[in-house]
Amino acid sequence: MVIRVSHLHKSFRVHRREAGWLEAVRSLWRRDYRIVEAVKDVSFTIEKGEIVGFLGPNGAGKTTTMKMLAGLLHPTSGEITVGGFVPFEQKAEFKKMMSLVMGQKSQLIWDIPPMETFLVNKAIYDIDDRSFRQTLEELTELLDLAPLLDKPTRSLSLGQRMRCELAAALLHRPQVLFLDEPTIGLDVHTQENVRRFIVDYNREHETTILLTSHYMGDVAALCDRVMIINYGRLIYDGELSVLTEKLAPYKRLEVRFSRLPNISWDEYGEVAEMEEGTVVLRVARETAAGTAARLLERFDVRDINIEDPPLEEVITRAFQEGVYGS
Amino acid sequence: MRRYGRVFREFFRACFVEEMEYRSEFFGNFAASFFGVGMALLTVHIFFYQTDDLGGWTYAEVLVLLGIFNMLRGFIDFALRPNMPRLLEHVRRGTLDYILTKPVDSMFYVSFRHLVFWRLIDVALGLGVIGYGLYIERYVPSAVDVLMFLVVMAASLLLIYSLWMMLMTTSFWVVRIDDLSFIFDSFFETARFPGSMYRGAVRMVITYVLPAVLITNTPALALLGKWSVSTVLAALAVAILFLWLARRFWRFALRFYTGAGG
Amino acid sequence: MVRKYIALLRMKYIEMLAYRLATFVWMTGAITQPLITMFVWMNIHPEESESFLFYFMAVIFVERMTSAWDVWELDREIREGTFSNLLLRPLHPIHWAIAENIVYKWLFLVILVPVWMVGAVCWPALRPHMTGSQIGWFLGAVVLGAALRFLLSYSCGLLAFWVTKVAAVYGVIDVISLFLSGRIAPLEMLPPQLREWSEWLPFRYMISFPIEIATGAVRAEELVRGFAIAAGWLFVLAAVLQWLWKAGMKKNQAVGG
Repeated sequence: MVIRVSHLHKSFRVHRREAGWLEAVRSLWRRDYRIVEAVKDVSFTIEKGEIVGFLGPNGAGKTTTMKMLAGLLHPTSGEITVGGFVPFEQKAEFKKMMSLVMGQKSQLIWDIPPMETFLVNKAIYDIDDRSFRQTLEELTELLDLAPLLDKPTRSLSLGQRMRCELAAALLHRPQVLFLDEPTIGLDVHTQENVRRFIVDYNREHETTILLTSHYMGDVAALCDRVMIINYGRLIYDGELSVLTEKLAPYKRLEVRFSRLPNISWDEYGEVAEMEEGTVVLRVARETAAGTAARLLERFDVRDINIEDPPLEEVITRAFQEGVYGS
Repeated sequence: MRRYGRVFREFFRACFVEEMEYRSEFFGNFAASFFGVGMALLTVHIFFYQTDDLGGWTYAEVLVLLGIFNMLRGFIDFALRPNMPRLLEHVRRGTLDYILTKPVDSMFYVSFRHLVFWRLIDVALGLGVIGYGLYIERYVPSAVDVLMFLVVMAASLLLIYSLWMMLMTTSFWVVRIDDLSFIFDSFFETARFPGSMYRGAVRMVITYVLPAVLITNTPALALLGKWSVSTVLAALAVAILFLWLARRFWRFALRFYTGAGG
Repeated sequence: MVRKYIALLRMKYIEMLAYRLATFVWMTGAITQPLITMFVWMNIHPEESESFLFYFMAVIFVERMTSAWDVWELDREIREGTFSNLLLRPLHPIHWAIAENIVYKWLFLVILVPVWMVGAVCWPALRPHMTGSQIGWFLGAVVLGAALRFLLSYSCGLLAFWVTKVAAVYGVIDVISLFLSGRIAPLEMLPPQLREWSEWLPFRYMISFPIEIATGAVRAEELVRGFAIAAGWLFVLAAVLQWLWKAGMKKNQAVGG
């Protein structure tokens, strides 16, 4: 058990802001505060080598939880251990065994080449020459960094910067890696590269990875297990496939006809979309194949596609409706 | 014109509310202004501890000068200085485009969008110091004195605005340096004291190359009754000239900006 | 630790090179106020012009050699949240600031010493007359002054955890420093009350004290006393910094992160 979180709470005091002249002046004397509970009674454990996705709408408490795991925030109550350490004590050994990559905030020094940041990290994390060289070689190859290392960070594109960022975070071979929106703003090609890299790296080094993301592509590609947090509460913790089963126990049947038949679709399934010649039906999982067969038999079908429901739909349902009996 | 008055008031309101947000800061700013003026007075006091005149100006006359310096600097800090780094950001990020599409003159917007309201205290304190100086000197300015003073002050404000605006406009090309305002600050620092104080080669430079002293000395002399119509007209002419130059420069910069990359 | 500093110094050096132009332009901004003040004094006591020339040039030199802008750096880093990046690494953030200070002071030294030498050739008033031991004490005082200013600057920077416009707070302290460190007037020209205060507050030891040693205005017993008071302030400021750091960490972990 590498990460253990038990009954974690975090609340903030936020003062209320009002617009307008009078309110603004009044705020000089009196401040109305309200307590915001960002994280409410969250508990989970993560084992070595797992890649876990941490999902939730904006403001749900993902980043707050992650910051507590990284030691940047002190919980209001509850316990956290990461790799045997208590994060908010901010011990040097703790920092050496973990890494946090924030998609929005870079640790690379802006006006100088990434290689310089790497060298600084080498010294700070007490990495010996041989390990450094080996790790750098490995990361350079996996992330295709060779042409980037000697150019100033500011001249690199967002995707190139993210790759260097990941390398900088992994130079000291942390056991635990926290990724906060790692693929945000990246083009599709780079996103795929980054995902592939994370999977390969995790398989090779058994690094425990916790990542937050808005992109379903990240989640689908990387995470077998997801935790969903909403309004500060953990509403689901388990396998992605199970979640899909529960919330969207259907399949998408996309059927293209040479001519759209004018019938009632109820006997086949629920109509999700309909355009000239194409119908998308939602059909219960068990009967999907059978329904497809019947359609093929009875009508002139040009093309037919049977798919799992899109992840966005699953997750959105989780946010909106909650997850029952998880 | 009235619309711009309304727009200015909106800028003022928005920034006022923003300022009120930070409570401790507000009182701190108030205190800082008083403190700043106090220190400036102390400085002059220390100089006059050792002498009776500075370049031919008496203690009281130097106080009047100081008051004017404070007022002008208050204006700069109130309206001009907050906008300088923001323009640079806009140019760098390309967000200037948003401003250019707004139905307000871009130069006006860029110079006045962000106002640091509490700096007006400096202007008020400057007036106070002027009053104090006049009181010590036992000089009551005549109506004509005051009129001349107001005209020359207006000219000085226009000149400061134009010079500052031109400096800001260089942001379009000099993107590496974060904040150019200290260039103006250094230039303006020379205006704190009477121009007649400087000697020799430095006097030449101060008079012909970087005549910042005129910006403060001329209004001070006017208020103290030592004005001449030719000087006043010259001040106005120079101010208007520079305003025109600043406008041309701004237009030029915009053409460069929208032409080059966008 | 030495290896870490070497890495940091190297990095800060390269970073500084990327900012050469900006640094140079910033430097010229630091010259105006002392120069103008010098002209004022030359006007007040024209017969002392030469010693004023030396004094204020020395002010520029020592001021640059002791300058610390950590208050603004910290303020920005804490407000923008990039300070967290430093907290995640197993090295106390203050070392980054110390490394940056060392690199820039080295740069100023490299620029100012040749300029002074050229100046000394042109104007005899600038030629220093110091014995070997005087030079030693002078350098020691400069280093001490730099340390004092750094501690003060960093401590004020840490206030950014609580106060939003730290620059204003520091501005107040800096203005007081202008008087009591001898930048408005050589301390002997100040009214006696201010002279009294300057003796006991740390500001004198940041700028004026080294210059007093260089001009020979400080005699043996005063020398020892001066260093003792300066050292005392060093400990006080270091303790204040420690305390602010701990309190700041607690605050940061409560709300920021």
